[in-house]
This record gives sequence, structure tokens and C-alpha cells, in this order.
Amino acid sequence: MNPLKIRNDFPIFKSHRDKPLVYLDNAATTHKPQVVIDAITNFYTHAYATVHRTLYPMGEAATTSYEAVRDKVARFINAKDRCEIIFTKGTTESINFIAQAWALQAIKPGDQVLVGSIEHHANLVPWQEVARATGASIVYLPLNPITYQFDNPEAYLSPKTKLVAVAHSSNVLGNVWNEGTHQLENFIKTAHTLGARVLVDAAQSVAHQKIDVQTLDADFLAFSGHKMFAPTGVGVLYIKKELHDTVQPYQVGGSMIWEVTYQGASWAKAPQKFEAGTPPIAAVIGLGAAIDYIDGHITFDQLRIHEAALCKQLIDGLLAIDGVTIIGNLASLATAGHLVCFAIKDIHTHDLASLLAQDGIAVRAGHHCAQPFVSSLDTSSLIRVSVTAYNTPQDIELFLQACTHALNLLKSALIL
Amino acid sequence: MNDKLYQEELLEHYKYPKHRKKLATHDFKAGDYNPSCGDRIAIEGTVNDNVITDLGFEGSGCVISQAATSMLTEMCVGNTIEAVMALTKDDISTLIGIPLGPTRLKCALLCLQVLQEGLAVYQQR
Repeated sequence: MNPLKIRNDFPIFKSHRDKPLVYLDNAATTHKPQVVIDAITNFYTHAYATVHRTLYPMGEAATTSYEAVRDKVARFINAKDRCEIIFTKGTTESINFIAQAWALQAIKPGDQVLVGSIEHHANLVPWQEVARATGASIVYLPLNPITYQFDNPEAYLSPKTKLVAVAHSSNVLGNVWNEGTHQLENFIKTAHTLGARVLVDAAQSVAHQKIDVQTLDADFLAFSGHKMFAPTGVGVLYIKKELHDTVQPYQVGGSMIWEVTYQGASWAKAPQKFEAGTPPIAAVIGLGAAIDYIDGHITFDQLRIHEAALCKQLIDGLLAIDGVTIIGNLASLATAGHLVCFAIKDIHTHDLASLLAQDGIAVRAGHHCAQPFVSSLDTSSLIRVSVTAYNTPQDIELFLQACTHALNLLKSALIL
Repeated sequence: MNDKLYQEELLEHYKYPKHRKKLATHDFKAGDYNPSCGDRIAIEGTVNDNVITDLGFEGSGCVISQAATSMLTEMCVGNTIEAVMALTKDDISTLIGIPLGPTRLKCALLCLQVLQEGLAVYQQR
């Protein structure tokens, strides 16, 4: 895996030649390689048609291409059956899907939903709404405030727990499972023995580590295409096959029916049952091209080493800056991280991010859609620097230089 | 114009804000919050014969939000209520002097929104 060669495959970096783009907001969204852009352009230029209900050759070819991506995704996350892969708009829709189409029926008054205390709003607010609608309560899985990881998550399970909703990797802290995925696997095993179902938010992990839904044994797993070099507007919801009859259609209408009469309708089998309406065909084809790109150019073991080295460089640089507090488990970030979040004493992160932007540096500033957790720290907002395969040590160096410069300017304005 | 010069002026206002004070009495008072930045601004003021005679503000948040409030309060004291109610987004952009994207513009506009809210309530009395 060669980061410089990979960087060359992403045209965005060639279109900013006058001021190099230092893109360090990959946990929010990644740029797209030329092959993904080409796949979408070629589809619209030469092969566009709708899927599943056409008899003309272009329609049949579009259906074949679209369904081939389902096979690719199934292979990519090692699903047992291709029908377990549902295309959605993204992680947020995938989680809302399960909240609406499964949880509202399955969860009863007095039940508990166990939710990670560091969850992104997308894996938090839907469960608050489910609890409100069903009379269930939410139990938050606390982090060890020193290690920023879960200590003994099993202790928070009970026979009342009907659903566990947790991130595979946090968008603020990175790895929160202290033995990595292994701890999550064991936790899921225990949850199952108590009769709970488990939803894993894989938005932050899918582009950084191998996901194996069979080993993980999650019942539901959600991720977005746009964080893994694919276009926006497409995501994946994995639903374990044994739950296909229990999960209701999220939307009803075209494409998802078996038979419709004036009196009512019956549903097609999964995955059609769960994909009402014309899907985002071109975006799905782009997702297929992104998976091919990852398969062909990135090995997750090498990627982890590369990203962790950049995180280590970041951590070392940031710790040398006065007033910086890094939020997270430094040892874990430096060995397996893809992001580093930090606060700076007396400086509003939006001011720092704006000054960095003037130098062509893109980072995330704010509460990172994890407001309850970020508010529980001694700060209202954090800066997040997140890396992927195309980032280089030079990106980190430019960031650290610009950061030092901007902080000097801002600190000169403070009465300390 | 030179963005750097304006940037320095903003930082000066942040460092030495005008009208960051509590008034002994006030005729109107309003406050609001910008959820994306967490900026908070509260402004109080006195009015005599339709003219704003004094303003005081308190708040916390980013440099843009606090400096813009300092600049706005400085500009508005001595003006009529109507003149202040007529101020727009563009006037704030001109006042700030550096180009702001839509997210940062919200930080800058919070003070105008709060001041106009306070004056609108005052006018209705």
C-alpha cells in the first residue's frame, strides 16, 4: 500500500495545485478516487436505466450491475447471504430504519435499550424517540473516564435489555473497545444469551478495518458509502436473515410488493421487501467501484499501521503545544487510531478551524454530533483531525505548523 | 482590502471589547444561543426619545461572535431604533470586514438578531 500512489488516484488533490489541499476530515467524509467518479459517469453516459422491472437490455444490464454490488458488499463484510444486504441512503437512514421498522414493534413498556454514551447523534436520537414512543427506557453504557474505553459493558445488560446500540468505533474517540473488536464480539455474545438484539454502527470502522458480520454476530449493522470513497446518498443496512420476517418494511410502495389488490398488499422477500422505490442506482454502482478500489489498493493491516503512524505524529506534535488536551486513549490511537480529537484551553475551536481553513487545511470543529458526550468533557467543542490512506506525514506537518501559527495569533488576543 | 488588518481589528475587539458591561438599569434585554458554535449573547440597553443611549452585553463563544457584538454595540449607541432595526446581514458583513462563510456568518449575526429581538419587544410595549 503506497499512500503517495493512492493520493494520485484522487483527482481532488490535483485540482488544488496552487495551495495544496490538506484534507484531514476523513471521519466526516472521504474524497473519491477517479475510478469511482468514472464508474458513475460511465453509467450515466453509456448504461443508464432503472433496475428490477425492465425488459430491455440496458435495464437488464443495470439490474445486473446493481445486484452485483450487493454481492460485493456481502463479500466485503462477509455476510452469509446476499439478501442480508439492504441499500439505504446512509448510516442515519439504516439506523432509523431499524428504529422504525423493528424497534417500535419489538420494544415494549419497561424494556431497556442499552446505548453507548459516546454514540453519534444518529445512533442516539432514534433510540430516545423509540423509548419515548414505546415506554421503554434508555441505559447509557459509560466509558472509563481515564482510558476512554468500555471496561465491563456486560454489567449493564439485564433481562430487560431488548436492544444494544453501539458504535464499532467512535467518531470522537476512535477505538472504545479495550481489546478491539474481540471485546465487542464477546459483549454481543453475552447480549444474545440474555435475549437482546444488537445493532452495530460501523460508520467509523468500515473504511479502516475488516468487518466480518458473521464473527461479530451483530443482528443489524449500518454504514455509509461516502466515508469509504463511495458517493453520498448510499449506505448499507445489514439485517441478519433470521430477522427478515420480524423486521417490517421501512417504506412501502413500488418494488417491494409481492402482490397488490384494492384490499391490501403482500411483501416481496428480502432484500426487495426493504427497498421501496427506485434506489440510488448510480450511487450503488459507485459503491461497488469503491469496494473494488479498496480491494485492489488497500490492505487493512497496512492501512492501520499507516494511519496509526500519522496519529502518533499528530499526538507528539500536539502534546508539544501549550494548552492542548487530547481526548482519547493515546496508546490506542497511536497503535490503531484513525483520528485525534483535542481541545485547547481558552480557544474556541471554530476560531482555530477558520484560521486553519485559510491555510487550506480541512479539519472538523465542534461537538461532532456527539453533544452529550462532548458536553460532559470540560469543553463545548473539539477539533478532530482524521486520516485515511491518502494522507501523508507532510499533511500532518503542515497541519501542526498552521496550528501553532494560528494559536499564537489567537492567544495574542486573549487576556490571560 | 487587507483581510489581515481586519482580522487584527476583530482580535482587538475580542481582547478589549466595547460595551461588555452590566447596565445599572435597562429598557430592554434579550439573549440567544447559536447551537452550532455554542455562542451565547445577551444584550441590554437604554432608550431615550427613540434613541439608543447605552448598550451592555455579556456572552461567551468564538472570537467572531464576541468581537461582532462589541463592534455592533459600539456602532448602535446614539442611533435611532429604526436605524438599528433596518440593519441587515450585509451591514454586519461590512462591519466585520473579512469574508465569512455561511457557518461563521451565523456567529457574526447572532448579536444583530439578539439586539433586534430586544428592540422589537421594546417597540411593542
